[in-house]
Amino acid sequence: MPTPSPKHPIVVQLLEAPFEPLELLAAWQRSLGAAGTAAESHFIGRVRPTTASGEPLEALELEHYPGMSEAQLRALAGACAARHGAGAVLVAHRVGRIAPGEAIVLVAVQADRRGPALRCVQELLEDLKHHAPFWKREWSGGSGTWVAGNTPL
Amino acid sequence: MGHQAAPPDNQVRVRLFAALREQAGWGEREIRLDTGSASAADLWRQLALEAAPPGSTAVDLPPTIRVAINQAFATADTPLRPGDEVAFLPPITGG
Repeated sequence: MPTPSPKHPIVVQLLEAPFEPLELLAAWQRSLGAAGTAAESHFIGRVRPTTASGEPLEALELEHYPGMSEAQLRALAGACAARHGAGAVLVAHRVGRIAPGEAIVLVAVQADRRGPALRCVQELLEDLKHHAPFWKREWSGGSGTWVAGNTPL
Repeated sequence: MGHQAAPPDNQVRVRLFAALREQAGWGEREIRLDTGSASAADLWRQLALEAAPPGSTAVDLPPTIRVAINQAFATADTPLRPGDEVAFLPPITGG
């Protein structure tokens, strides 16, 4: 895995409480200073109100492997940025119990051009769905079911 | 090459997550390896978290379960060292 340079900072945040993606994004942009890049791409994922089988969802529970999850997100983000020649990357991911409609994931990538920025966001989302130690459990009707696989792209 | 850093009794720390943790009824245990040179796959057989099928003495690690050693993905045939943290990870559903 490539080592992130100070010029291409990787910011990873695992959040146990609800967060406002636009506020987090604004704080991240401020932290990078006035010299923004020409292109920036974002993705916000929210918890849908139904389970995989179509029942009303009470909450989504997200279990993770503390320590490894942060390290793995950082490694995936650094590798993705290096592959696409992108710059700064932000990954924020909720853990714990998440209500329908709440944000679960925010990915933001800066680059010189739209192509690398957009491609890195999409690829990183797929990477973290399959290669970061997170497990979803859907709560509905008072009982929890571990989610067997990821939703289609 | 001394033994001063090695935990006693060829022990490793085993961690289970999500559905695997609930099926086993535990999430973290210190386990003494049966043999001196065990891999993660050997450790899985030793743990015997699932009932062995008739005519067999142990259940092999299912291909859907991934292994992490000291919080990094590893192959199931990686030899374990005393003190390692070995995690068995059911299929990942992040994002």
